[in-house]
Amino acid sequence: MVPVTAVAVVAGVGALGPVVADASPDLPGITAQDLLAKVQTAKVDGLSGTVTSSTDLGLPAIPGLGADAAKFTDLLTGKHTARVAFAAPDKARISVIDQMAERTVTTDGKTAWVYDSSRREATKLALPAHPGKPEVAPEKQAYDPQAVAKQFLAAIDPSTKVEVSGTEKVAGRDAYKLRLIPKTDKTTVGSVTLAIDSKTWIPLEVTVMPRTGKDPAVQLGFSSVSFSTPDSSTFSFTPPKGVKVTEQKLPTARHIEPKGLPKPNATKPGAKPGMVKPGMGMADRDKPTVVGKAWESVLVLRGAKLPADVGPLGQLLAKARTVQGTWGSGKILTTKMVSALITDDGRVFVGLVTPDTLEAAAAKAPR
Amino acid sequence: MAAEVVERTPVARPSAGRHTVALFASELHLVFGRARTWVLLAVLAAVPILIGVAIKLSGSSGDAEGFLGQVAGNGFFLVVASLALSLPFFLPTAVTVISGESLAGEASLGTLRNLITAPAGRSRLLAAKMVALALFCLAATMTIWVSGLIVGIVLFPVGDVVLLSGTTVSLADGLFRALGIALLIATSLLGLAGIGLFVSSLTSTPLAAMAATFCAFIVFGILGAIPQIHVIHPWLLMYGWTSFADLLRDPPYWHEIGRNLLMQGAYLAVFYAAAWARLTSRDVNG
Repeated sequence: MVPVTAVAVVAGVGALGPVVADASPDLPGITAQDLLAKVQTAKVDGLSGTVTSSTDLGLPAIPGLGADAAKFTDLLTGKHTARVAFAAPDKARISVIDQMAERTVTTDGKTAWVYDSSRREATKLALPAHPGKPEVAPEKQAYDPQAVAKQFLAAIDPSTKVEVSGTEKVAGRDAYKLRLIPKTDKTTVGSVTLAIDSKTWIPLEVTVMPRTGKDPAVQLGFSSVSFSTPDSSTFSFTPPKGVKVTEQKLPTARHIEPKGLPKPNATKPGAKPGMVKPGMGMADRDKPTVVGKAWESVLVLRGAKLPADVGPLGQLLAKARTVQGTWGSGKILTTKMVSALITDDGRVFVGLVTPDTLEAAAAKAPR
Repeated sequence: MAAEVVERTPVARPSAGRHTVALFASELHLVFGRARTWVLLAVLAAVPILIGVAIKLSGSSGDAEGFLGQVAGNGFFLVVASLALSLPFFLPTAVTVISGESLAGEASLGTLRNLITAPAGRSRLLAAKMVALALFCLAATMTIWVSGLIVGIVLFPVGDVVLLSGTTVSLADGLFRALGIALLIATSLLGLAGIGLFVSSLTSTPLAAMAATFCAFIVFGILGAIPQIHVIHPWLLMYGWTSFADLLRDPPYWHEIGRNLLMQGAYLAVFYAAAWARLTSRDVNG
């Protein structure tokens, strides 16, 4: 009996432990508009915590992409944990916790450092001064959050249903769930849910559900969070001895966003994560364009050279379904979330849409 | 085999509670009085020497990434690199040998029969076996720690330690963290030791117990290498083994370490309970 009891206890703790912790908290009711208004007024002086992301776009694994490309695509797939810290107005630090290694990006507002512990390389970026930044805050106060929330809801109403779909505990905090559901069935996105903290009104978690299937395609959120301002030494970086340091200057006056905060607008309809097609050899003059609106948006790239038949990507394409239409013919690749159509004349259509929508977009798109 | 038999004196094998200390001491004597234990520890001590000499002779760290690449610049990392490199194979092998031996060895020599004739003594006997195993795990990782430190100081410059997060801490801080790593790895081996103890309680052939335990270890490894079953990966014995490196972050990242310790505890609890059930219900002649 004792071993059976031991197994039962261990299995019980393993299986039920998380369930008990995830019980939805009791919070006063709130309308979507009020919630959106609160989100805009959200202001924190600093936070630190651990963010976990798990992404399953159903992208096929493409072996032999090369180390650099792999490092990048690696962040688009699988599970990752990062420590984040943020202090108003412009200090931020993100450390991606890899197995026996760490990749760190940190900025104190003037300089940014990128450090890769496995390669022992540090890159220093001198950030351009951005005087426009302080003006943003007063400007933001000038408009009425309620009005903006109303406008936003009115603007996305034709395409999207917005609702407060309940409450949940995220990183030990009580949060409201704001759910955006596309009204069209032409997209592969089932819903986008934001978990919004009921005290600071900061989004704590983003979940993207595919139209089919029960597992989230993207889940990014805090697993623990603290709203006390981290010490300023958190954001400083001294390159350790024996580490190769390269210096770079940022070419444009684009300022670095505090990436630690999941921005509410990051999941606005139309924003398309995960559209990376490495190795396509896109010419600079062919600027990507967007066809279609809201959830049905399709990104069009031109001048893509199809890779030779050999090689992993070629093999992938060889297996892909061939489609034909008035627009010509091409290969279509579909995954749980992302669909891509590569036409014989070198155009690439990518979107979080169904394959049929891609073909329709191909027919409409100018050559 | 006969040469390795350590005499058990009747005095050191009591069945009553007040002789518990004597029982544990006898058990430790049994494990650490064996030539094979010392051979295993010597092999583990040779790991840092091997790595250190190889890096010293090649003259540079080459393009090696991670801890191994830092050894040439700072001998401290020989401690961490040796521990990390011993974890996938050398340490589990050593634990397999010792744990497979523990009960089956006694059974094969006929000494187990004497030990379990007193029913009250069986639970205590198992506890003593497990404690001896745990101490062996610790001895194994500490051997590498000490050997790595000595070889590191002899062969390479030693200085302040660069953590994974890019922060530099003093050598003392680094050594303290490395000590924590040795402790964590020793604890990580307890799940495997528990499996070995259980298998060892099933048979009276030590070699069969060792082989079966090692097979179990390899099966875990194979399961962990099949991406299609990634759902069960977090529940495999070795899933959290690499979490020891989280001690080298600034500040240390405890989440995975804690999870690994819970996992090892769970494996240990299940297999220890199974071994207990087997031993206490075992026929005296079994």
